Amino acid sequence: MIYPGENLVIGQIGNIFTVVAFAGSFLSMVAYFMAEKTQDEGYLRLGRIGFLTHSLAVVGMVSTLFFMIFNQYFEYHYIWQHSNTEMPMKYIFSCFWEGIEGSFMIWTFWHVILGLILYRSVREWEAPVMSVISAVQFFMLSMLLGVVFFDYKLGSNPFTMLLREHPDFSALPIFENPNYTDAIDGRGLNPLLQNYWMVIHPPFVLFGYATAIIPFAYAIAGLLRKQFIEWVKPALSWTFFGIGVLGIGVLMGGAWAYESLSFGGFWAWDPVENASLVPWLTMVGAGHLMLIQRKKGVSVFSLFLLTTITFCLVQYASFLTKSGVLGDTSVHSFTDLGMTGQLVVSLLFFCFLSIYLIAVNFKKFPSQESEESITSREFWMFVSSLIMFVAAFIISFSTSFPVINKLFGTNLATSGERIDYYNQWITPFAIITALLLAIGQFLKYTKTDMKMFWKNLAISGLVSATITISIAIIMEMRNPIYISLLFTSSLAATSNTAYWILFLKGKMKAASASIAHIGFGLLLLGVLISTTQSEVISSNTSLYDISVLGDDFSNNENILLMQDDTLIMGDFFVSYRGKKEEDNFIHYEVEYMQPNKEGKLEKQFTLYPFLQLNPRMGNVAEPYTKHYLHKDIYTHISYAELEDRDEKATSEEHSIGIGDTIFTKTSFMIFDSLDRKATEKFTGIGANDLAIGAHFTLYDVNTQAHELTPLFVLQNREFPMTVSDSIPEAGIRLSFEGIDPEKESFNFRVVEEAPKFNDFIVMKAIVFPGINILWIGCIIMGLGSFLAVWQRIRRK
Amino acid sequence: MKKTHIALIVVIAILIGAMITAINDSSSYADFAEAFDNPEAEFHVVGKLNRDKDMTYDPQNNPDEFMFYMMDMNNREQKVVLHKSKPQDFERSEQIVLIGQAKGDAFHAHEILMKCPSKYTEGEVTAEASTNT
Repeated sequence: MIYPGENLVIGQIGNIFTVVAFAGSFLSMVAYFMAEKTQDEGYLRLGRIGFLTHSLAVVGMVSTLFFMIFNQYFEYHYIWQHSNTEMPMKYIFSCFWEGIEGSFMIWTFWHVILGLILYRSVREWEAPVMSVISAVQFFMLSMLLGVVFFDYKLGSNPFTMLLREHPDFSALPIFENPNYTDAIDGRGLNPLLQNYWMVIHPPFVLFGYATAIIPFAYAIAGLLRKQFIEWVKPALSWTFFGIGVLGIGVLMGGAWAYESLSFGGFWAWDPVENASLVPWLTMVGAGHLMLIQRKKGVSVFSLFLLTTITFCLVQYASFLTKSGVLGDTSVHSFTDLGMTGQLVVSLLFFCFLSIYLIAVNFKKFPSQESEESITSREFWMFVSSLIMFVAAFIISFSTSFPVINKLFGTNLATSGERIDYYNQWITPFAIITALLLAIGQFLKYTKTDMKMFWKNLAISGLVSATITISIAIIMEMRNPIYISLLFTSSLAATSNTAYWILFLKGKMKAASASIAHIGFGLLLLGVLISTTQSEVISSNTSLYDISVLGDDFSNNENILLMQDDTLIMGDFFVSYRGKKEEDNFIHYEVEYMQPNKEGKLEKQFTLYPFLQLNPRMGNVAEPYTKHYLHKDIYTHISYAELEDRDEKATSEEHSIGIGDTIFTKTSFMIFDSLDRKATEKFTGIGANDLAIGAHFTLYDVNTQAHELTPLFVLQNREFPMTVSDSIPEAGIRLSFEGIDPEKESFNFRVVEEAPKFNDFIVMKAIVFPGINILWIGCIIMGLGSFLAVWQRIRRK
Repeated sequence: MKKTHIALIVVIAILIGAMITAINDSSSYADFAEAFDNPEAEFHVVGKLNRDKDMTYDPQNNPDEFMFYMMDMNNREQKVVLHKSKPQDFERSEQIVLIGQAKGDAFHAHEILMKCPSKYTEGEVTAEASTNT
C-alpha cells in the first residue's frame, strides 16, 4: 500500500546523518589512536576530518529530530510517542528528550560541543584525548543506529521506526487508510514532564554528565602516555566546570520535584536522583585531588581512581535509568528498549579500560617524596576527597540493590521509609564534610601554625555556636546528630565568610573556594532545617487512632475538607471553596485565614493545588506552594472524587389524611388543609371542572417554611388531572393524585431530587522552614565553581 | 607507613562495614506467605489489585486509611490496609508494591508504589481526526 501523506524523506535524511555520525566517530577514534601510536601528522589530519564530519552529522541529527517534532510527523513512532497537536509549543523541547533516543542524542550533542572546544585548545594532548572522546561517541551512536545484525537489534533509531511498522501497532486497522496521516494525533508528553523545569533540567544534567568525559579523556591520555601528572593541569578547570554544571543540574531536579511532584519534598533518594548525585560527589573528590596535585603532589593512584570512576558512574547512571533494571523501585525511569546488553557492554568497556590502564601502570606511578603533616591543608583535602568517595559508594550500593538482586538472585530492598534510610546513612558524612569545609581554608599547605589556626577559627566558632544555640532553642531541636550538623554547617558558612573578608579582604580574586564553600555550608544548613523541621500541618480529622498499630502508622497526614467548611490547620484556618476546571486541569481553591485582632477570621492567601487529568497516562496531583522568606507552605491534593455522584431522584407515594406529615430525606411537610376555592387560582379551569387544592407547609433543612398547594382537578367532573407544585430549593415536587373516599384519605406523590452532594478534598500540607537557605546556598555554590573556572582561564 | 595509606585502609574498612550493615539493615522482597509467617517484620510485597472485591475508602471518617484486596505473585489474596490516602488513579494500577508488615488478618502498608499502564498499551493510537484537518 502507498501512503501519500507520509514524509519518508525526512526520516532518510536523519538516518543518513546517523550513519555518517557513527562512521565519523569510528574514523576519528581509529585515526587519532593511530596518530598517537605513530606520531604521523597524516593520521592527525584524518582524525580531525573524522571528528568534524561526526560533529556536523550529530548537529544534523538533532536539527532533523527537532524539525520532525515541530512539523508533527506522527507517522514516526518517536514523534507520535512523545508529542501531540494539543501540546503547547514551550514543551516541544521536553518532547525531544523524553525518550531514550532523544536523550542520548542531546548527550552526544553536548559531547560534540565540548569536543569542538577541546580540539582547538588541547594542543599536544589532541590525539589521545580526542581518540577517547570519539570512542565514547562511537559507543553512544551505536545505541542510536537501529540496525539489525544477525537478529540482534543494535540501538534504537527515531528516524527509521515508523508507527505502522512498529510491532505493537502494525496490525491496527487505521493503517488500511492510505491517508491515515491526516487522521492521526500523537500520544503526547507525560503530564509530569509538562513543566518548565523539565525544559531545562534534563539537558542541564546531561551537559553535566557530558563534562565528565574531559577529565576522563585526559586521565586515559595520561595513562597511555605514561605522563601521570602532566594531564592534571589542563583537566583541572574542566573538572570544576563540570562540578558547577552537574551540581546545578542535580539541584534543578530537586527544584522540579519540589515544584511539581507530590511526594512532599525536594529530594526523595529516588534511584534516578541518586544516580546523578553520585558522579557529582566523586567529581568533587577528583577536583580536589587535582588541586592538591597542582600544589603539592598527591597519591597518583587515588587521582586516577576518582577521575575514571566519575566517568564510569555517569555511564552507570545511564545504564540504571535506561535499561529498565530499576523496574518498580523508581517512578521515573525509562522503559526497556532492549538496549540493556549494549549499555552493559559500553559500561564494562570503559570500566575495564580504566582498571586495565591503572593496573599495568600501577608500579610506575611516582611515589610521593615527603610525608604530609597532619596539620597540612593537603592532608585534610585528601581526607575529604576520600569521604566524598565513600559517601558516593554507600549511596551507590543501596541504589544498586535491584542490580544486585538481578545478578545474585537476592531479595534486597531498602528498609523503612527510603528517605529516612538514606538520610540516616548520609548525615554523618555531611557533618564531617561540613567540618572539613570549615577548617580547610585556615590550614596552610605543608604545615600550619596551630596557634594561629585556633585564633583564626575562634570568631567563626563563636558566631556559629550562637547561631546553633538560637536555632536549636527556637526550633526545639534536640537530636544531637542534627545539632552537630547544624553547628558544622553554619561553621562552614561563617568561617569561609570570615576567611574571605579577613584574609582575602573581600576581593573576588582567589575567592572562588571560599564562595563555593559558603554555598555548600548554606546548602547543608537549608537541607537540615527544612528536612528535620518540616511539619505536616494537615492532620487526620477522624477519631480513630491509627497510631496504636505501631510506630510506622502514626502518619496522620491528610485533612478532609468539605466544601465551605472551615477547619483549623496549623496556624491557619482553611476552607475549601470549590474547583475550577480548565482544559485538563482541575484547580482546587483553598483559602487560608487567620484570626485578626477583633477575633474575626481574615483571609491571608489562597492556594490552588491542582490535578492534571490525562486519560492516557494517569492523573497527576501537582502541589501549590506559598513562599515566605523564612518558610514555605506546601500543599497538594491527596484525593479528590473526580466523577460526580450519579444519584437518581426518588419518587414515593403517600396516602394520608389532613393534619398528617410526610417525611422526606431532607425535609418534612404538614398537610394543613384542603383548599376548596382552588378553582379560582387555577386559570385553566373551565366552568364544569372541579378543582381541589391540598395545602402543605414544608420545612427544609434550614427549618425554613415554604407553602405548597398541588391541585387535583376533575375535568368536566370526570377526567382526573394533577397540577403539581414544587419547591426547587428543597428539591421537592408534590402532586395530588387522588382521593380515596372510603378510607377518607388523600393520595400524594413526592418526587425528591438526590440531596446535593457535598464536594470534598483530601489534602496534605507541609511547612518547610528555611528552604530558601538551601536555594541560596545552591546558587552561591554554583557561582563559586564557575568563578574557579573563570580565574583559571584568566590566569592562562 | 604513610598517613595516606592509613587513610586508605580506614576508608576500605568503612566501605566493608557499610556494605555489611546495609545488607543487614535492608528489608526484602517477599510474598504474602513469608510476610504472614513473620508478622511485624517489614517486607516489600509485589502484587496485583483484586478488582472483583470491594475497595473501602471513607475519607470523611479517616482520610488516611484505605482498604483493598491484593493478590501476590503466587496468587494468594490478602486484605490490605494502606495507612495513606487512596492513591489517585488507583484502579488503573497494573502492579503494586506494598511496603509494610503483616498484622492480624491484614497486611498493613505504610508505603505504596504503583506501576500504571505502560506507554505501550495495545491499540492506543487515536484515530480521531486531528484538529488541524
